[in-house]
Amino acid sequence: MNAVTLPLTAPNRASGESLWHKAARKFGRDRLGMLALGVVLAYFLVALGAWLGWWAGGWADLTGTKWEPVSSAHWFGTNIIGQDIFDRAVFSTATAFEVGLSVALAATFIGAVFGAFAGFFVGSWIDEFLLWCMGVLDAIPFYLFVAAVAYALTDNPWAMQVAMIATFWVGTGRLIRGEVIKLRGMEYVEAAHSIGVSELAIIFRHILPNTGHILLVQASITFVSAIKAEVILSFLGLGIKDGMSWGLMIDESTKEVLAGFYNNFLAASLLMFGLVMAFNAVADALQDALDPRKVG
Amino acid sequence: MKIVGKKFPRKAISVLFVGLNRLISAFLAIFLVCSLAGCGPPSGSGAASPALKTFHFAMDQAPTTLDPVQGANIYANFVIVNAYDTLYSYQYLARPYLLKPNLAVDFPTVSADGLIYTFRLKKGVRFIDDPCFPGGRGREVVAEDFIYSIKRQFDPENQPQGAWLWQGRITGLDEWKAAGSDYAQPVSGLRAIDEHTLEIRLTRPYPQLTATLAQGYSALVPREAVEKYGKGLGVRPVGSGPFRLVSYDTARVVMERNPNYRQEPVDLAAEGYNPATQKFSGVEAIQGRSPPFIDRLEFNFINESSASWSSFTKGDEVQLTVLPIEQIDRVLASKRPVTLRPEYAAKYHVYGGLEAGFVFTAFNMDYPEFGYNPDPERERRNQALRCAMLKGYDWEARNHSWYFGLGEYFPGIIVPASPEFDPALSRASVTRDVAGARKLLKDNGWTPDNLPTIVYGTTAGTTERLFFEQFRAWMRDIGFPRAKVVQKTYANFGDISRAWKRSQLPLVAKGWGLDYPDAENTLQLFYGPNASPGSNDANWKNPEYDRLYEESSVLQPSPERTALYHRMNQIVLDDCVAITGISRTRIYLWHKNVIAVPDREILGGFWLKYVDLKPEPANIPALVKGG
Amino acid sequence: MEILQYALRKLLAGLPLIFGVTLVSFALMVYFGPDMTYQLLGKNPTPEQILEVRHQLGYDQPFLQRYLGFLREIVTFNFGESSTGEPVTALLAKTIPVSLILILPGFILGHVVGLLLALAAAYWRGRWPDKLIMAIAVIGMSVSFLIVIIGFQIVLSSSDGLDLFPVRGWNASSLGSYLSYVTVPTLATMFVALGYDTRFYRSVIVEEMTRDHVRTARAFGLPESRILLRNILKNCLIPFITRVMFSIPQVAIGGALLIESYFGIPGIGKATYEAIVTGDQPVLKAVVSLTAILFVLVVILNDVLYRVVDPRVTLK
Repeated sequence: MNAVTLPLTAPNRASGESLWHKAARKFGRDRLGMLALGVVLAYFLVALGAWLGWWAGGWADLTGTKWEPVSSAHWFGTNIIGQDIFDRAVFSTATAFEVGLSVALAATFIGAVFGAFAGFFVGSWIDEFLLWCMGVLDAIPFYLFVAAVAYALTDNPWAMQVAMIATFWVGTGRLIRGEVIKLRGMEYVEAAHSIGVSELAIIFRHILPNTGHILLVQASITFVSAIKAEVILSFLGLGIKDGMSWGLMIDESTKEVLAGFYNNFLAASLLMFGLVMAFNAVADALQDALDPRKVG
Repeated sequence: MKIVGKKFPRKAISVLFVGLNRLISAFLAIFLVCSLAGCGPPSGSGAASPALKTFHFAMDQAPTTLDPVQGANIYANFVIVNAYDTLYSYQYLARPYLLKPNLAVDFPTVSADGLIYTFRLKKGVRFIDDPCFPGGRGREVVAEDFIYSIKRQFDPENQPQGAWLWQGRITGLDEWKAAGSDYAQPVSGLRAIDEHTLEIRLTRPYPQLTATLAQGYSALVPREAVEKYGKGLGVRPVGSGPFRLVSYDTARVVMERNPNYRQEPVDLAAEGYNPATQKFSGVEAIQGRSPPFIDRLEFNFINESSASWSSFTKGDEVQLTVLPIEQIDRVLASKRPVTLRPEYAAKYHVYGGLEAGFVFTAFNMDYPEFGYNPDPERERRNQALRCAMLKGYDWEARNHSWYFGLGEYFPGIIVPASPEFDPALSRASVTRDVAGARKLLKDNGWTPDNLPTIVYGTTAGTTERLFFEQFRAWMRDIGFPRAKVVQKTYANFGDISRAWKRSQLPLVAKGWGLDYPDAENTLQLFYGPNASPGSNDANWKNPEYDRLYEESSVLQPSPERTALYHRMNQIVLDDCVAITGISRTRIYLWHKNVIAVPDREILGGFWLKYVDLKPEPANIPALVKGG
Repeated sequence: MEILQYALRKLLAGLPLIFGVTLVSFALMVYFGPDMTYQLLGKNPTPEQILEVRHQLGYDQPFLQRYLGFLREIVTFNFGESSTGEPVTALLAKTIPVSLILILPGFILGHVVGLLLALAAAYWRGRWPDKLIMAIAVIGMSVSFLIVIIGFQIVLSSSDGLDLFPVRGWNASSLGSYLSYVTVPTLATMFVALGYDTRFYRSVIVEEMTRDHVRTARAFGLPESRILLRNILKNCLIPFITRVMFSIPQVAIGGALLIESYFGIPGIGKATYEAIVTGDQPVLKAVVSLTAILFVLVVILNDVLYRVVDPRVTLK
């Protein structure tokens, strides 16, 4: 429903190295972007600590009684069965990164490879087939598709991620396809052809690296989409299977908010809002920095 | 949420203000669609004129069909028993529940050997007017309609759900099905002696027979309607009940009064009226009048309890709701007895009723890790393991977290709503004893390393997940490592039922609602021959228990039978085959202009025909606010 | 005439897409989807009854046979009865209009307001109104739809909040009651869509603003507002149309799902979700094929609209 379009055009291939260099310089000057990046890194440290067991290990323990208010022992209070909401919210940060990173990396990778193949062999049956796949996936409403995948994979813990990857790669795939169609006509590609470099090598060594700026931005957008989708899917009962996530916390809270207990709702939605907002800002800054038409 | 990247053709010369045109045509389209469909039929409360008495109430789920042949759940029954007639029903106000004749004139005459039942049906009762009848006028309800309706439960074409109530009980019925369910063929055990006299012959005594004839499954369906509408009967009931259907969708069911419903003045004494506890509701006002008293009945299906509560407290939407548990502390002044805080007491009536059913967790004995095992020594240790888990289970905490302390947890499988409930039974099996559990495990050689992994199956959902997390925490208290208590989720009730029925789940956490007020209905849950795919999901087979069950199943209610029930209950407890159980209290709140004593147990909506509304200014149909 | 021929050709070309969508959805939702058998069984079933029900539902047939049966149903547009016994076509006729009138106001307003905000942002590009609008857009993009729905319901509809609109029920029998029921869902949809729409429209407009002909117009001294309307906006129409058109299938079926389940509105989104959850195959099949057909129609309509907007786009 929410399409994101990137007004990116072909990079100046000859200055491929300096594009990244220039982008980094531009990004470094973007104060808002740097601040957002700092916030994202802070979240990541929190997640890292949860992974390594430094904190939030007690998210599943019954450490208090029902619906305790905020206190020094329970910074965000406790939930209906007496679990510590702060621990659960912190642990959920790790889950958010797990979901976001796995979906973003896999979807971007698949989108890059399929998009590159479709673009490189534009007009051939490979292109037709991949375009057909993209069309099919675009045509099935997202939530129905995810629900169907989740049910088809029954108790597979990765059902939700698989469904997101299966739909999210399409956007990246289309962008990369368009970009590769442009790149394949360039002299250096034709030169590689003429000296007998294999088609696979051309795609992976010479063309895909030149789409890196698109992939980076797409990955960051996919990351945000995955985190947001998780919340809704968890509400629909299709989310994380074992563990804890902001989506599950918000789902817990739907029944509590009208009873006047807002701790779960506020903890999860504010933390999530912070990360998503920061990531959106980072994605924006990246996009600006990597846009070669903008003078920097 | 989808990421779509598109390349756009750039150069375009446009017609100015195409956007504006599009906007205007879109608005036109809305109103076109609106006037053509969706808004036409008078289905809304706003369409009802203020002179009509409309009763709106909230339920948490919509029925999936209104055909009695599949009327398995309480939601379907709420509508079915109001659209159709059953031979028997329950007294409006008697608790515990007591049967009363409904379409039958009286209770049946039973032969001395308990095998032949004779029922007399009321004369002059007519089905509602419907195009399926010649001339569109409803014909008289006769005994053949009952026979036809029971036969439908034995016709696989209908995907029937109620056959288990009569299977192997009525002479010739199973043979009739085996021969191809040909409605032209008679069933020897189902005979219409004349239009208003019915005879049922049983293969063996079945003391619960009369009670099964109060269930929606046995509702009288006219053959003409089935032949005309086929599967469409599921959305178009044609019965002789107090109401007739106006509309049915996943958000609500609207029914209106059946104008030809038989005149039967209410006798409160015969309905089990107890002035001491029920006078507050104002039901005395219906004494001597013939139901139904309201013109329209609106069932609102609201999943989210918060939405249902908001709708209730608005004042002009639903008039009756079950109090969401998360509102209990805000709304109630005291729990035993249930009373409201003054600001709510001024506006609403309240009534707390214990559910006729329970929630329990059974061990699936097919799993050798903690159930039956070829090695007798291991089987003995397994029993100790199960008993230790029972001791580790915290009923008190569960009741506090999820039912605000309003549930009633009890030992064994005879629920408090059964007449045979034994309040004197030892509560040791529902009292938490962590030290005792740890000791039991240690004495029987269980260590964190050799404890089996326990798989706890639930449907997907937050509450279910929290149930599991709570359970895991309790089991960790008695020595289970966290990794050895795992959750397995199922997309929906159908999927988890499949796992139960195929004996694929080690721990079976489920609820059971009574089909009739007789402990036999829960005792059969552990009867050996009912093992999967039957209702004995524990797959527990105890010869002594099975023998007692068979012995008691042909007895009429008596102290002797109750004694047998209690012995069976004790065997279940001694073998630690289930962590059991709790009956939840449902608290009903309704607006003060509604005259009713609501309930949803056993049959669901059998009381709706007695609901009346006071002609108060508060009773205005939903007005548009803020629009 | 040319357009009609073109549309027909496109429709034929869309057949593989319809085939693909139906095949994937059939495999996922119907073949591997939830099994209704166990919801249709009584409390104490026997193995024979289980087999009977599976046979009744057609679960015992091989994949190909079931899929071919499905294709036949699509061609004849006869999907049989849902598990309630209601004909599926009647169910669709009842639920789709509800979803449409529920979603359309938010959809249209979201795009219109988004476009206006984008114009304002582009007009004051780089100055504070632009920054403010874009900051709000990022905030809008960062809040979960679910949180918005819960929040709006508490604030606007509950007795703890302003209590302005009804919470439950759906009644479109008169314009007044329709408006009172549709307001909260519309506001929620708009709020969430605005962030994305505004950014999208702004980026397209800004890109158009940097083009040569715009600079030329500016150099001729034409007023900025006139340039914005005349030279820029009309050139943006094609991306705008694409955006609107391609969000239609998503909105028509998927988008209404959350709102309908939260507000209890009997639309197609809720009906479909319930069909997935319970495994009500006839309904699923109908929705899947409708979606595929709708998508292909949108693709065709989109191309035809290009042509209307820009006669130089040839219909090959």
